[in-house]
Amino acid sequence: MSLYQLQKLLYHVNRDSERRERYRKDAAGFIKAYELSDEEAKAVLNVDTRTLYTMGVHSLLLKPFTLLNKVSNEDYAKALKGLE
Amino acid sequence: MPIVFACAASHAPGITAWTEAAPREQAETFLGSYRRLGERLAASKPDAIVALTVEHWANFFLTSMPTFCIGRAAHYDGPVEEWLRIPKARVPGDVKLGVDLIDACLDGGFDPTFSDELLLDHATLLPLHFLNPNMAVPVVPVIINTLTVPMPSAKRCFALGALLGKFLQHSEKRIALVATGGLSHWPGEAKHGKINIPFDKKFLENILANDHRSLIAYTHDEINAEAGSGGHEIRTWITLSGAVQSWKAELLAYEPVAPWATGCGLVAFNP
Repeated sequence: MSLYQLQKLLYHVNRDSERRERYRKDAAGFIKAYELSDEEAKAVLNVDTRTLYTMGVHSLLLKPFTLLNKVSNEDYAKALKGLE
Repeated sequence: MPIVFACAASHAPGITAWTEAAPREQAETFLGSYRRLGERLAASKPDAIVALTVEHWANFFLTSMPTFCIGRAAHYDGPVEEWLRIPKARVPGDVKLGVDLIDACLDGGFDPTFSDELLLDHATLLPLHFLNPNMAVPVVPVIINTLTVPMPSAKRCFALGALLGKFLQHSEKRIALVATGGLSHWPGEAKHGKINIPFDKKFLENILANDHRSLIAYTHDEINAEAGSGGHEIRTWITLSGAVQSWKAELLAYEPVAPWATGCGLVAFNP
């Protein structure tokens, strides 16, 4: 697990327009700059809200990241349903 | 001149970004109180606003997360959120006051970080939108980490407030103190939308009663469980309570607004 690297990736995409552009053009290439486990890489590339949340990604990094990836509020809530 | 104004206010982004999602009466009550509070701030004719505030990954990341950070910039830009429906603004800073506050902290047993460039997000810009609508009064942000663990204890926040209050009472400037954040909310969490009204009411009771013993007794785990990750922002209120310990708090509004997903409070402190 490399939660720090995972959160750093989301932070960069959320807050830095140049990096966001690179992520949008080639997400698979972009994430290679971060030391992620295979599981983390998969969760990021699939914008897997529930898995990213249970991995411990801070909700105020995750929420804007999912919005940038066009996950609706309803789908976000649905993805977290049943979690604490 | 000393502290001439003090208030604590919630900053839920929905207040401006999706105002109309709230029941009309609730929105009108809360926004009306916010605007009247702004009129009271203006009437106090402050030379500067010291904002006891927080942030949400606007400036800091886990590369280096300050527990307390004081701004000493000539100006601050914001809001960072495009969707907040608050016009982009350049808010004047007060460099000297920022420097003086940092020195006062270092002399008084606190070691804050300092910054010559801070972006403001809804935590600071939303209250300023109502309280300093022309962005004419210079601002010194005092950012408290309520975002990610470990956070300063309630007791430590109260002590910081006491130190700042003591220093500012002897300021040559007229100072308005604005604490921003809370009350209970779970932003982006599985429990998003929950509001713990009993927690909020008990906290407000403690604020209104100047029950400092109860305020400094709030633990991290208690706040986390009862008021959510967003509830940690009540530390700014506790800091303010430390700054104006003998002032009488006055409840202007408490509205648990479901569509804003936050227990929204407004309290003025009167000398």
